[in-house]
Amino acid sequence: MAAASSSSTSRRVKASSAAVVPGSAKMAAIGRLSQKLLKSAALTQTRQLSAAVAHSEQAAKTWKILSFVVALPGVAVCMLNMYLRTQQHSHEQPEFISYSHLRIRSKRFPWGDGSKTLFHNPHVNALPDGYEQHDH
Amino acid sequence: MAHQAHAYHMVDPSPWPLTGAIAALLMTSGLAIWFHFHSTVLMTLGLILLLLTMYQWWRDIIREGTFQGHHTPPVQKGLRYGMILFITSEVFFFLGFFWAFYHSSLAPTPELGGCWPPTGITPLDPFEVPLLNTAVLLASGVTVTWAHHSIMEGERKQAIQSLTLTILLGLYFTALQATEYYEAPFTIADGVYGSTFFVATGFHGLHVIIGSTFLAVCLLRQVQYHFTSEHHFGFEAAAWYWHFVDVVWLFLYVSIYWWGS
Repeated sequence: MAAASSSSTSRRVKASSAAVVPGSAKMAAIGRLSQKLLKSAALTQTRQLSAAVAHSEQAAKTWKILSFVVALPGVAVCMLNMYLRTQQHSHEQPEFISYSHLRIRSKRFPWGDGSKTLFHNPHVNALPDGYEQHDH
Repeated sequence: MAHQAHAYHMVDPSPWPLTGAIAALLMTSGLAIWFHFHSTVLMTLGLILLLLTMYQWWRDIIREGTFQGHHTPPVQKGLRYGMILFITSEVFFFLGFFWAFYHSSLAPTPELGGCWPPTGITPLDPFEVPLLNTAVLLASGVTVTWAHHSIMEGERKQAIQSLTLTILLGLYFTALQATEYYEAPFTIADGVYGSTFFVATGFHGLHVIIGSTFLAVCLLRQVQYHFTSEHHFGFEAAAWYWHFVDVVWLFLYVSIYWWGS
């Protein structure tokens, strides 16, 4: 039980140092990577703990804290990062070049006119002859 | 009244293996009929039969275990072996698709431009939605562990909260992937890049949906007091499956999304 609580303390210390890293996307990515490694290390430890029959009665509380202090904020940080990065995108249609190794239609799809894929998006998915005409 | 002199479960005769096999036949032949003759009747029939089979078979298992007490420790041990073997078989299933991906990407052919990603393919940025998806699944691994400990400690309310949170994260992942599929500038028909990408991530997504459903059933059962602090194997099986789904995603992310870009 002492081992579990001291390692959970070290987990919390590591988590806060990862959260403090500021600034550019690359630094944030390193912070997120260490958070990811942290989580998988924690998972491994859990699986090892689960093998034993006796459990610390603090365990549910520990994982609850991990959920709200590490896991969900990690998700929130990634959501913010995603939002900021997608703002920097251009919204232009990618150029169409009629490569023969792309847009393969050896057999028609069994739906519609057989030419559009299941998740067809007219703005970014060209058909073999080019983008559709009634485009935005 | 005679009773058994052993701890094992001699299961009563059941029609569900037969209906399941018939469903598999109808779905496979139905798929071929759809592709060649544009009729979905057979396949739809097979799908309905499959859903009915799954519902009734698993309902019967819950009756036998939770209500009739047939799941003694040796029986539970057998169920554990079964789940582990099943997940192992799924690992091999995904291994095949990873093999295909590495085969095509380590030595890209001249037809693709001799490079990976192939000429003309704009891969997705691994640090946008795919990174968020990674965080979501890792977080759900933490919350499902919280749920497990809550069940073991008899914390009913916490178990329900954490299990619900896990399922919501799973649904969020699925929604994010669906928008990624729609927004992607490449399709499944874009050569071997498209094939490996969408088949590997597509089967993974299907497994996320299956895992989320399994967890949702566990939530319903937890609410209805099926689980005890000592005996909750259905939940453990769902949690194992969920961790497996998470690990497959990590491999997909590192191989296809990150290295493959």
